[in-house]
Amino acid sequence: MKGFHGCYWRFDLSRNCGERIAIEDSVLRQTLGGVGLGAWLLHKEAPVGVDPFAPEAPLIFSFSPLVGTRFTTSAKFAVVAKSPLTGFISDALSSSHFAIAGKSMGVDAIVLVGACVENSELVDGRLRPSECWGLSAEETAGRLARFGRVAAIGVAGEQLVRFANLSTEGRHAGRGGLGAVMGSKRLKAIAIRGEVATEIANPDQVDQLVRRLRKRASGESTAKYSELGTIANVLSFDRLGTLPTRNFQASHFEQADRLSAENWHGRRAHKRTSCASCTIGCEHQFAFTSPRQSEESSRANGDQREKKQTRIEYESLFALGPLCGIGDPDVVLAAASRCDELGIDTISAGATLAFAMECGERGLLADAPRFDDPDSLLGWLDDIAHRRGLGDRLAEGSRRLAGAIGQNSIDFAPQVKGLEMPGYEPRALQTLALGLSVGVRGADHNRSGAYEADFSEDVDRLCGNASSAARAIETEDRAALLDSLILCKFVRGAFEDFYSDCADILTAVTGETFGPERLRSVGKGIVDLRKAFNIREGWRPADDTLPSRFLSEPLASGPARGARLPKQRLDEMIESYNLERGWSADGYLPASRLAEIFEERLAVPTSVESGEGV
Amino acid sequence: MSRAAVVLCGGYSSRMGRAKAWLPWFGTSMIEHVVSCLRPVVDEVIVVTSAELELPELEARVVIDGEIGGGPLVGIREGLAAATSEFAFVTSVDAPFLNAKYVEALFSLGAAAAPVSEDHVQVLSAIYPCAAWRNADNHLRRGSRRPLRLLEELDYTAVSSDSAVAWCESEGPRPWHGFNEPKEYLEAVRALDPTATVELEFLGRAANRTGPSRGRYPVGTLGEVLARAESSTSLTSGSSLIENGRLRKSHLVCLGGRALVRDLSIPLGPDELVSVIDALAGG
Repeated sequence: MKGFHGCYWRFDLSRNCGERIAIEDSVLRQTLGGVGLGAWLLHKEAPVGVDPFAPEAPLIFSFSPLVGTRFTTSAKFAVVAKSPLTGFISDALSSSHFAIAGKSMGVDAIVLVGACVENSELVDGRLRPSECWGLSAEETAGRLARFGRVAAIGVAGEQLVRFANLSTEGRHAGRGGLGAVMGSKRLKAIAIRGEVATEIANPDQVDQLVRRLRKRASGESTAKYSELGTIANVLSFDRLGTLPTRNFQASHFEQADRLSAENWHGRRAHKRTSCASCTIGCEHQFAFTSPRQSEESSRANGDQREKKQTRIEYESLFALGPLCGIGDPDVVLAAASRCDELGIDTISAGATLAFAMECGERGLLADAPRFDDPDSLLGWLDDIAHRRGLGDRLAEGSRRLAGAIGQNSIDFAPQVKGLEMPGYEPRALQTLALGLSVGVRGADHNRSGAYEADFSEDVDRLCGNASSAARAIETEDRAALLDSLILCKFVRGAFEDFYSDCADILTAVTGETFGPERLRSVGKGIVDLRKAFNIREGWRPADDTLPSRFLSEPLASGPARGARLPKQRLDEMIESYNLERGWSADGYLPASRLAEIFEERLAVPTSVESGEGV
Repeated sequence: MSRAAVVLCGGYSSRMGRAKAWLPWFGTSMIEHVVSCLRPVVDEVIVVTSAELELPELEARVVIDGEIGGGPLVGIREGLAAATSEFAFVTSVDAPFLNAKYVEALFSLGAAAAPVSEDHVQVLSAIYPCAAWRNADNHLRRGSRRPLRLLEELDYTAVSSDSAVAWCESEGPRPWHGFNEPKEYLEAVRALDPTATVELEFLGRAANRTGPSRGRYPVGTLGEVLARAESSTSLTSGSSLIENGRLRKSHLVCLGGRALVRDLSIPLGPDELVSVIDALAGG
């Protein structure tokens, strides 16, 4: 099949050697690439019940059929592994020339297994002792640039911070601790390059479709991202009472105006950039003055604080700002920049800190960080990344921290399945509350776009019901397809008919006829495949829920005051969701489901099959 | 005689385009206004609503009407059945001019009673014995859904409009005055304050294009308020948010931090904060 190479490169870090392993077309037809193919490889390569930090645990870079074409936003790849934060599947996307370089190696994925005997870098297909250990991912990429495109971890990944990320060209595969998985293999970086062209079935048709998508993606459908970026969410979310504040104790932040795109644009030095192969340009970088970190450093620098520029997204802004009670723009921008340097996921970092802050307020944690304390934020981030002092415990994430603290603190730990929650208040966005609860990756706003329903006139976002299930499923299925093709979600508004347009693209690239209904079915199959991995790794129905806080406390103030999400309502939505997916009411897949999708080519160990499902 | 108040707010509010319970009423919502009017003169307040409608915190007991669309008699039955008092004043939520003196006077008749205005019996501003929920249930079982039939069966006291008005604390619109359509609601608002305004703000790209992000405009429908905002000199730098009589697809309007709407005929109430946001919120 065109558009693919029909194989993956499996590199054993323990043995310092790699091999190419064929992938059958039937698998590629059902998984496409990205998160779909990555999930399939994870099923195949990960031993059941493997410790995410064990050498046997695979780390997968999964490319896609569109990589290397001129489709806007197509230079993307998925990084997939068993998450050290959740114990379930983690699949994070990133964008950069790394994707193009990987595909140019003549493979559809790279699978790293084993562990290096010493701190190493993988360059030109061989391991060598690391020269970059201790450096940031960006510094590492600079050092290794002569070997090709680089994916690297920062200090946090080396230190096995459970929410360490993995970076390429300043973009991050951010969620779920994939950088820590790489760190556990003692692998600092991988540099790749190649010269193998990918055959396209119908180049003329592809050119035509490329032009069409670019044109549509250049107008109103993406203008929010190009004009203001995702930080445009801050003020809107604040007005809607959905801006999580002080560890979700409130959903309205009194200093939101200070952190708003509307106020920054025109008043703060700013530039806009794009990922590789992207015509939208959603990346907005803002200047900030680095806050004074200590009396000692200010004496050394004569109190001359450094001026820098950093990219900022809504999720970073909310997590390091309102969630921690911080409204100083310079501090929030500096914190986002520091997370990038250290290699940690901004959402999990901010949310774990915010949780610790509330624990401190309640007298459950001694010497804890404090809300509304901008002066200490950067220091805490450093402590987490280097696992210093209390930072060592914070580096485990909010769920494990709550486990250590006890005293029912898990009730307000802002996580689902161990993954810290994104910047959406679920009591005020109840379709998304369902999406967050059932998300296989944990609290996830990327694999479920259920907030799209909430941010419309079609539903009462403050009162979810059984009809929320169909809406959540629709956005999950679409995301599964986009994340496997892969195209950026920011083009989601650029399609005239989503499944038909995607089918046209895939048909032109591969030469296989992909009708819209078939693609819809592929999307559902990928969702099932990801869920099946979790089931084999010990998922239980009780994992699909929200922390007790959201189910017992109404929002006390702000525009959404009084909004509540009773447990019974959420449970009913979850049951409707499961049944509508064709699963059992409590969320197990029918035992035959994977065999249906993969014609029994996927080895699902019988030991994890139950009477009800896989 | 123990007294209850039953407030019906489970209807679809389809002609209004937004939930009547949440319509702004000079610093509060309609449901909060009505409950606060009634609270001083009754022993209990029962609010009958639908499972789909979230309400603010109220000093009232909330009863879910499982038969939404069944008409007001269903809500009356549910409210009377839930009450523990002897008599109940039943009102719909759209009763902005309700006042305690009027309700007190109606209760003092000690029997089923309703004002009659221009030959219309105000069945949703009337006193019912709470035990009459069984009668209501029988009516519904027989397919009769008109509250007037229930009142007639209860041999209600008809109160002349003039008498009822005389009970009121002040002159002005009658206490049973309600509304189903935006125009009627806006007239009610203007009756109380002809200078009432809404606060309109532009967020996201709308703010980027229009410059000043906030302004005050006379109450009106969303279309009227947006048109006024766009015609003011300070807000003309961007392209219009209204295209072919509809709000552009790229935007949504948030009312008071709650409902998200695009329908230009929806009324905006006094002191309401109306935020124009990007339709692609999230992501």
